[in-house]
Amino acid sequence: MTARSGRYRRAWSDRQSPSLTAVRRAIIVLMAAFAWAGNLQAQQYHYERPVQAAPTVEDIGNGYELPAVQTHPPRAWWRHLIDVAVLAVALGLCAWLALWRRSRIGLVVLAIGCLLYFGLYREGCVCPIGAIQNVTVALTDPQYAVSYIVLAFFFLPLVAAVLFGRVFCGGVCPLGAIQELVLLRPVTVPRRLDRALGTIKWVYLVLAVWFAARVAAERDFIICRFDPFVGFFRFAGPAHMLLIGAGLLALGLFVGRPYCRYLCPYGPLLSLLSRLAWRSVSITPDKELDCGLCAEACPYGAIRRELPVDEQTGRYVAVRSACLACARCFNYCPRQRVRGRDAASQGAQVDQPAAGATGGTA
Amino acid sequence: MTDRPTRRDVLGHAVRGTALVGLGGLAAYLARRAGPEGVWQIDCEKCVNSRLGAVGVEVCERCATECVLPLSAVRAVNDHARCGRCYICPAYFDIKSAVNAEGLPSQKLCPRDAIERTPIGWVDPDDPANNYYEYTIDERRCNGCGRCVLACKEPAGLGSIRLVVRYDLCLDCNRCSIAQACPDDAYVREPLAGDEATA
Repeated sequence: MTARSGRYRRAWSDRQSPSLTAVRRAIIVLMAAFAWAGNLQAQQYHYERPVQAAPTVEDIGNGYELPAVQTHPPRAWWRHLIDVAVLAVALGLCAWLALWRRSRIGLVVLAIGCLLYFGLYREGCVCPIGAIQNVTVALTDPQYAVSYIVLAFFFLPLVAAVLFGRVFCGGVCPLGAIQELVLLRPVTVPRRLDRALGTIKWVYLVLAVWFAARVAAERDFIICRFDPFVGFFRFAGPAHMLLIGAGLLALGLFVGRPYCRYLCPYGPLLSLLSRLAWRSVSITPDKELDCGLCAEACPYGAIRRELPVDEQTGRYVAVRSACLACARCFNYCPRQRVRGRDAASQGAQVDQPAAGATGGTA
Repeated sequence: MTDRPTRRDVLGHAVRGTALVGLGGLAAYLARRAGPEGVWQIDCEKCVNSRLGAVGVEVCERCATECVLPLSAVRAVNDHARCGRCYICPAYFDIKSAVNAEGLPSQKLCPRDAIERTPIGWVDPDDPANNYYEYTIDERRCNGCGRCVLACKEPAGLGSIRLVVRYDLCLDCNRCSIAQACPDDAYVREPLAGDEATA
């Protein structure tokens, strides 16, 4: 069909004069040019900036007042100071509740309070876990000025660990608190599996330091990027991190604090320093009662039977580097219940050996 | 308390003291170089939507798309003192759209219709082209996509619109998603430079 039409056209144009072809071409070009300019005019506004300078208030007249530029100033410095003060007070309160008061209910209340303040109100930033990266950058990059608040948040829990053990984990950290609250039916993780999984957090810490120590253009803060719970505090976040967070919380129904024990990169620093602790959670040695209920109650496998050389029977000690100061053990202790019933007579008696026993657990 | 301190106690105190001094020393070393709290902010001279010299570029909308918040903490503001108050504002109207019956472009540029246009001063009802117009950005609608910023940039406009961070929304993330995605490293965390920077 096409071949035939082409043949006819060629035959027809051979008969016509070449001048006619030229005229036809000129008409087409003219029409196209007209259509092109017309289209431009019909479709697009020919824009030219009408003014060269901004008109002043006098130019505008009629009592016009210049509106202020919309602005929301950043958080005031004293509010940051309040954050640091809340952190310090919470650490002290946690140490008192876990080590002296031995009050599980008090610690739960403190944990909820810190979850509300550092989690929901402050929305997870600044946090000591992420501050590892800022401190790393400050140590490796001379151009980087770390802020005072970040320094305070990084060092206060470490100092508290040297004095009282991992009290930051027990009642202050919002990531710990959210897992502590969902733990319904703790199962015991086999010792070997526990130890094997526990090495992950060291790898994570090394990776986080390595990524943060790179040059500014390639730097990445992986702890913040893969924070599983901050999305819940903010009610917003990447879907995959929310899913991982929900998965960890679901696992946390049965396995006590999976993030804290196996992933948290701040944990290694705290567990190292808590070995030196001046005071830490201790199990009162008792000649008559050696039931081991506390060891069964501990969801983190932090209470173990130890056989000292100078004693015939073993006794239960709280391993400092693993104890998260949750005070669950005291809740299960028959002696503590006795103490709770008539605190006036028994309280001093129980507290005294508690202080003396700390030396033996190191 | 009545017991004499054993060798173990003394050793423990010494190690503990060393650790505390070490922590304190590290903190003091870092504190000497530390500064006040920085806040995330946009460097207008680096941002491709507002920096001069970058002509014929596509608008960068990463401030709107990358923020972890549903409505980004970045939004555009109009610096009224620099605004030309044009009859046909290239940031308000889509100047490439067809002309309507009033001789104005028929489309608006803002995809969220966040810019308000009101005549100000002595208003001439017969000749709208003879009036000054005030352009205010509704911060409840603006998501900081930056199209108006690019359109108002010189030479088309006077460059009065810029992108800023709303500190009432900004979560001040340690690792800001926008800063990670910014192609020009224009999203920086620094202390605000006095009142001039905010005004």
